[in-house]
Amino acid sequence: MQPGAVQPGAVQPPAAEPAAFLKRQTLQIGDSILSWSVRLLSLLALAAVVLMLVETAVRASPLFGAQSPLDLIFGLNWDPSTLAYGGLPFIYGTLVTSSLALLFAVPLALGAALLINEYLPRRVGVPLGHAIELLAAVPSVVYGFWGVVVLVPLLVPAQQAIAGSPLGALPPFSGPTYGPSYLAAGLILAIMILPIVTAVSRDAMAATPRLQREAALALGATEWETVRHVVLPFARGGIFAGIILALSRAIGETIAVLFVIGNQPQVNASILAPGYTLPSVIASEFAEANQPFHTEALIALGVVLFVMSFAVNIAARRVVSRFEARSGGADVR
Amino acid sequence: MSADSRPTGKPRPIGEPRRIAALRPTQAGRRRADRLVRGVCLLAGALAVLPLVMVIAFLLVEGLRAWSPAFLVTPPAGLTSPGGGALHAILGTVEMVGLALLIATPLGLAVALYVVEYRAGRLAIVVRTAVDLVAGIPSIVIGLFIYALVVLTMGHFSGLAGALALALIMLPIIARTSEEMLKIVPRRLREGTMALAMPRWRAIASVYLPTVAAGITTGIVLAVSRAVGETAPLIFTALGSNFVQPDLGQPMSALPLYMFQNALNIGFPAARERAWAAGLTLVAIVLAFNLLGRWLSSRVAVGGTRQ
Repeated sequence: MQPGAVQPGAVQPPAAEPAAFLKRQTLQIGDSILSWSVRLLSLLALAAVVLMLVETAVRASPLFGAQSPLDLIFGLNWDPSTLAYGGLPFIYGTLVTSSLALLFAVPLALGAALLINEYLPRRVGVPLGHAIELLAAVPSVVYGFWGVVVLVPLLVPAQQAIAGSPLGALPPFSGPTYGPSYLAAGLILAIMILPIVTAVSRDAMAATPRLQREAALALGATEWETVRHVVLPFARGGIFAGIILALSRAIGETIAVLFVIGNQPQVNASILAPGYTLPSVIASEFAEANQPFHTEALIALGVVLFVMSFAVNIAARRVVSRFEARSGGADVR
Repeated sequence: MSADSRPTGKPRPIGEPRRIAALRPTQAGRRRADRLVRGVCLLAGALAVLPLVMVIAFLLVEGLRAWSPAFLVTPPAGLTSPGGGALHAILGTVEMVGLALLIATPLGLAVALYVVEYRAGRLAIVVRTAVDLVAGIPSIVIGLFIYALVVLTMGHFSGLAGALALALIMLPIIARTSEEMLKIVPRRLREGTMALAMPRWRAIASVYLPTVAAGITTGIVLAVSRAVGETAPLIFTALGSNFVQPDLGQPMSALPLYMFQNALNIGFPAARERAWAAGLTLVAIVLAFNLLGRWLSSRVAVGGTRQ
């Protein structure tokens, strides 16, 4: 306030106040505009998600007028021409191929992560790590095409050798073999999830506090003992999170699997036999679905797939939060 | 590190620490174990890199044999006839990913702002959980959702439906990165805007968002890199097309879709060649976006917005 502006005794209307009031009001209008539009857009996103779930369930529901939901999950026979829609071959195939993928990929990924983080000099390890991470970005259609052109022909003699050896007497390794198989799909999936498990495990291992690591070395532990007793226990949560993330990828992978699994709706004990998975049957039969309820059955299989991946994601979140609580906040996203 | 293997009988000289005496006899075994693990890790690393190298090598060799600059600007031929380029597919990818970007960016930013800046209680958590849920849905199921919601409602396949499916794939990526970025806006900046009595919208528009712009851009670029390579959600939304047509209301091709359809017909040498060429183009675009995203994010880390 400038000196002399206010005469003592005079009743003066508060000069500054109306302006400030006005200004504040316009500011608040701006705030409520942004606040409401943000809220509206968020609700729009939410509504889209809910609407999709409802709409999909509605589109699948006519099937359950013709057969029971249990048949869709436990039925062995999938034959649209006789209106038999049993989904077990696909659920089985999805579980078998993703288990195989984890079986192949996890040990390799852990070994590679250890190699990059602990054994290789930074100059070599860091670029190698980046290169592996970059490969997670390669589209699945490329892996699928590579699988059918390169991997499957390579696998044929190997599969025949396995089936012909004494191992072939065991159901999981029995013939006959054709090339496309659960094994081929498991291998392609393993190649695809390797970069994910490697990257997440590396991050988790790298977060080990330097002091703990140095303390172990100072006590005379060898490198392996340091890894075994300090790094791995610390990184366990992150590694698990990476594995579950990879599992959720493997369960939902469509295109790459479609090329190499052989597309036979059957439950076969042998991993050398062709099969089918949930995503790949949806993708390959959807366009030609012309029998009654065929489309509905495929959409219903999509719902089954959704529930499966949802369960895996929930499990992932629980694992992560449990380990986060224990390890005191290693970044294990 | 078992102490049981310590040989007995030899008296321990006075003054020599017990621990070292205990370790010495197993020293060789421990070193052997260390070397063994190192060898196993080397082997695992080599085995892990081998298929990845093979994928890239085949893509480069076969792809470069089939690829030429003309491939990018030539209209498609019939599926079984030789020649034919990817002009329609590239046009489709650009249009659909572009539209998806226009849809997903404001929605993703809004969700992030809502969750971080306008924490309005339970509803914000519901919105965030729903968006997180979408991130976990297999992309083929997202395609099915859009099929049920858009294609069946409109009565036909369209580039629009494809763009919506891609937008849904990008949304959680953008929302998540933006959220993480907004969370790391330095406390001092926040306090500064409060000290200046800035209204929240002003603080968001002229302080918070510019501060984390690089980080948010990283998220958007990575989301684009992901969407460009997606085939599964396009199969029964955009469907594919064998004509150069820019109309988003009609069925449309895209690079991954074009590669997929040619790859299904590898019996025909021409289709096989086009699949390799499309694959090489696709991987080049995806990796370019991915590298751009990584470069941006490394700048974020250096630039100091990430404390």
